[in-house]
Amino acid sequence: MPHYNRCFEKEASIVENIGVPSVFAAVRIFSPVLQFFVRKVIQGVLLLLITSAAAFFLLSSAGSDAFTSLRENPQVSAATIEKLRASYGLDRPVVERYGAWLRSAVRADLGESFYFQVPVTGLVLTRFWSTAVLAFAAIGIACLVAVGLSFANVRSRSRTLSAFTDAVILLFASTPRIVISLFALAILVYGAVTSVFWLSAVSLAVPLVAILLAQFNQSLNDAMHEDFVRTARAKGLNETTIILRHALRAAINPALTIFGLSLGALLGGSVIVETVIGRPGIGALTVTAVRNRDIPLLMGVMVVVSLAVWAGNTLAEVLQLLNDKRIRASEAE
Amino acid sequence: MTRRSCASVAATAGLILLVCFAFVAIFADALAPYDHTDQSRTLPNAPISTITFSDEAGSFSIRPRVLAPKMTDALRQTYEPDPSRPAKIELFAKGYAYRLLGFIPLERHLFGTSDPEIRLHLLGTDVLGRDRLSRLLIAIRFSLIVCTIGAVCASLLGIMLGLVGGYAGKVLDTAIVGVADAVIALPAMIVILAARVAFPLELPPLTAAVLLIGLFTFTGWAEMTRLTRGLVKRTRTLDFITAARISGVSGTRILIRHILPNIARPLLTQATLILPAFLLAEATLSFLGVGLQEPEPSLGNMLAAASDLTQLREHAFILLSPAIVIALFVLAVRLINTGINTNEDREVI
Repeated sequence: MPHYNRCFEKEASIVENIGVPSVFAAVRIFSPVLQFFVRKVIQGVLLLLITSAAAFFLLSSAGSDAFTSLRENPQVSAATIEKLRASYGLDRPVVERYGAWLRSAVRADLGESFYFQVPVTGLVLTRFWSTAVLAFAAIGIACLVAVGLSFANVRSRSRTLSAFTDAVILLFASTPRIVISLFALAILVYGAVTSVFWLSAVSLAVPLVAILLAQFNQSLNDAMHEDFVRTARAKGLNETTIILRHALRAAINPALTIFGLSLGALLGGSVIVETVIGRPGIGALTVTAVRNRDIPLLMGVMVVVSLAVWAGNTLAEVLQLLNDKRIRASEAE
Repeated sequence: MTRRSCASVAATAGLILLVCFAFVAIFADALAPYDHTDQSRTLPNAPISTITFSDEAGSFSIRPRVLAPKMTDALRQTYEPDPSRPAKIELFAKGYAYRLLGFIPLERHLFGTSDPEIRLHLLGTDVLGRDRLSRLLIAIRFSLIVCTIGAVCASLLGIMLGLVGGYAGKVLDTAIVGVADAVIALPAMIVILAARVAFPLELPPLTAAVLLIGLFTFTGWAEMTRLTRGLVKRTRTLDFITAARISGVSGTRILIRHILPNIARPLLTQATLILPAFLLAEATLSFLGVGLQEPEPSLGNMLAAASDLTQLREHAFILLSPAIVIALFVLAVRLINTGINTNEDREVI
């Protein structure tokens, strides 16, 4: 599956590229570890600033807010709407509002949701946690399938199994979440499976299985042709040990990059899975915010999602550093 | 079978599927037996019509006939075929008037029945008694048009920014790459939904289509930009570019006449990969009720009927048929891509 890899090469460099390199010249005197963390924090802050500013200005400049629908109501006068808007501070200029939003956002106060009438921060974090658990279950399923099938492939070197793996990749890559989650709903209705959590997790995992399996199968195969594998064979180690102790470790890094990136994709996928199956999470919350034009809530969702994406990438990079001494060496130089 | 011929078979199968989709999109009106907004309130949620090969007298006839459904339970909406009134199925039957390709006025449809009272519903009817097959065909047309135009716009924007980023100075390049990375890293669906709020939630079909194309362009350019930029960076160091520069060819001309034709193939592959992503985004938005709205059919808003759980239990296949269409389209594009890439790699090695 070479074309998947081409996509990943492209995506792999995302992790390195956010940020301005010249800023870090000053930090170079510090240790590489500190340097790494400073770079990551600057990246995160930049990402947050860009997304929140873009979202805020786009949503404010469109000229519609939570009270727009009230305008069609003949019982509410224009003056009342203006008063309502003023009480929420919506009559002030956009830049000033963004400044105020940013100042309170730094104190972890994201305002109050128009629709739910509760503070956004708590609401978004609770729902995010519910989706995060689901996402980790999905990642677990995907890892299990990817590692298991790739291992069996490399161990048996059977052509039938390799063809089967290709078929699984193709089938899973072309089953979108909207399709699989509707079928999951049908299964739920027929009562064949009753666990909403696991059905959602499987629906969320399906496209990820294809991506992870394609990547892991390829990199494990590549690793089996490396010199250190030949050395291990020459030492007389048995094949299973070679794969598990040596090749697997070399193959893990590209998969970790995908893990970092998949957190964002899983959050996006949760929109459809949670809405179809009816599980409260960040995806379903986004849909509610959109349907009710709840802009503070939507801003909160954007912030949490950006943070999650950043955290996912950072975590993946740290794990890669821990796993591969070669990257550590090149960072230290 | 070798891997390569296997890939060719896959690519051919994908291509045939895709041609079928294009055919449906072009001739949707002619293939659809009934007007997609035509309601028959007496037949809500009717199942697939019963077809028999026996005539009124009950003896065998080669000509298929359709039996009218008779409602047996108005509350649970169950039907059974009524054998007393069969209607002949006709090819190229007369139906509602439409314009093929937007300008050829026609009234003939691929099939219909001899009796306009008794209708042939190959996928049953929806909650308002509208023919599901007709709606599905029109929905495929809408979705394909929107995702194709969206893919073209996003690709053009992405290629343009990528060319500029790959060839212009460092500051502009860093800015473009930074924004592109942020766009790729964020989940596209949530970004599209957030941007969707900036516009009125209920829109007429044409405005909705334009808005969807705009949103897809706005969120889908980034991958294309990264790919183009990388390819431009690799190509610009080659000798023939240096030769062109020494001969005094302008930067724009080098980009368009010398670099672009050389990197066109991978860009085209990437452009086809955008198609299913946009089709899915359109279906998702319409499913959530913020894309194309009723009475116009779209793959997404037809799927919304599946959230009626009692109906889903009774007619799972009919309700999920738009989902099967979506899966087939994505599969077609994937098959073509797998085929092309496997063969390309062989050529390189």
